[in-house]
Amino acid sequence: MSELARILLVEDDPRDVELTLTALGEYNLANEVVVTRDGEKALDYLYSRGEFSTRSHDNPAVMLLDLKLPKIDGLEVLQQIRSDERLKLIPVVVLTSSHEEKDMIRSYQLGVNAYVVKPVDFHEFVNAIKELGVFWAVINEPPPGSVKKAP
Amino acid sequence: MITDNAKKPTGVEVRRAMARWNEESQRIRSPILRYGLSVVSVAIGLGLALALQHYRFHDVELPVLTMSIAVTTWYAGIGPSVLAIVLAVASFNYFFTEPFYSFAVTASDLPYFFIFITWALIVAWFSAAGRRIENGLRQARDRLQVELEQRQRREDEIRQLNQELTKQAAELEASNKELESFAYSVSHDLRAPLRHVVGFSELLQRQASSSLDDKSRRYMQTILESAKRMGNLIDDLLGFSRIGRAETKKTAVNLEQLVREVVAELRQETNGRDIDWKIGALPVCYGDRSMLKIVLVNLVSNAVKFTRLRSRAEIQIGCVDLKENQVEVFVKDNGAGFDMQYVNKLFGVFQRLHRPEEFEGTGIGLATAQRIIHRHGGQMRADGAVDQGATFNFSLPKAQDAAERSANMP
Repeated sequence: MSELARILLVEDDPRDVELTLTALGEYNLANEVVVTRDGEKALDYLYSRGEFSTRSHDNPAVMLLDLKLPKIDGLEVLQQIRSDERLKLIPVVVLTSSHEEKDMIRSYQLGVNAYVVKPVDFHEFVNAIKELGVFWAVINEPPPGSVKKAP
Repeated sequence: MITDNAKKPTGVEVRRAMARWNEESQRIRSPILRYGLSVVSVAIGLGLALALQHYRFHDVELPVLTMSIAVTTWYAGIGPSVLAIVLAVASFNYFFTEPFYSFAVTASDLPYFFIFITWALIVAWFSAAGRRIENGLRQARDRLQVELEQRQRREDEIRQLNQELTKQAAELEASNKELESFAYSVSHDLRAPLRHVVGFSELLQRQASSSLDDKSRRYMQTILESAKRMGNLIDDLLGFSRIGRAETKKTAVNLEQLVREVVAELRQETNGRDIDWKIGALPVCYGDRSMLKIVLVNLVSNAVKFTRLRSRAEIQIGCVDLKENQVEVFVKDNGAGFDMQYVNKLFGVFQRLHRPEEFEGTGIGLATAQRIIHRHGGQMRADGAVDQGATFNFSLPKAQDAAERSANMP
């Protein structure tokens, strides 16, 4: 399954993971998702190292990135991706709880593709996640080197 | 008459002048030393003159004795000077004028006496003048010393104040940072569990709504609504704290344009209602546009909210010139109003004068608005009566004045 994953979700909170997967499930996108629970694991996945060493080297079509993460936080992951020749084209969407302006500014400075504040309202949350999933995994044409859509 | 009297010195004045002169001219304080000096200096002068005469140096006695008088006058003042003159005259008369070795006075001696006295007067005058100048210099030096000490003290004070200020600035910065990180974690961490409460309640409702009875469904609804309300409270509170932390970016703001923008944005809430908008001419103010917009959104949406029960709502927005450099904007409605005895509670955080089922709200809008106005150097006040409507006023600096002020800045 992780071989085909086109959405990389980086989220430390299991409840948020469940809610996000539920939302994506409504559009049958749940099995396109691979979840990593901190910034370090996310980088392991992208570099195909550690527990992901058997993975193909294709990039995900989109990365949904939380900002507050254990070990390596979201902004550091973003910085690392953008400074790597092979990874820097990956579309990254920051998915965060916070309205803090400085997080947003920093994210855009680091070249994020979209910045989404998770709505408290569940319907809005589901809609936001659904639209993100559909847009980036279905509508958007990902850069070369990304995992191909299942036929 | 008066001037004549003033010109004529009285006896007391003369004595006082003499005393001052004496004081100014004498350098040795002890009377024994002073009179002793007089005797000794004349004796030395006389000895010297006699010795010189013995070695056939003639006509030196006059300068030597005048020297003695001069020394006495210079160092010991008037009394000893008179004594020195008397002694010098006596010894001169005895040793150096004919008839020798007698105190008999002849007419030819008189010029010498006159020379001694004149000389003593000249020296006394110079001595007094010298003393006066010396005193003046000493006083000036003392003043300078005092000034120097005062300046040093002031410099020390300034340095101390500066140190305190630096310390306070550092403390302030630290507490600001703390506040910022506090707000940051509130923003990040407090919203997440709320989202989970809402999300999973929603999922539970979806999953089990068919098997739930009405009461359980109402419980469910209450959980959801409370969580959403909590979310709104957190958002508003963060907004409020952000006003305190954010820097104001001040420009000229066209208030009339801003008000029309705000009213247009509230269209959704005002749809289907009969509202009589009266928007007067508003000036260009000097302030942070986005912050002032928050103020107007709060005041105008309050007016819309609290006139909900009126069949025809009247909302008036206008301004009055307060002072030449300030303008006061008002937002007046004919809505529910409030009891003036609770007016000071209106602007408190989470303070509400209406029950939530009457009029919804978090109770932070007016606190935020007031904070913004305070940050602009203005004042905010409210007037109202129950069921008679409410008027909110806020003052702001006018744009032209602000422009002048910034132009005058170095």
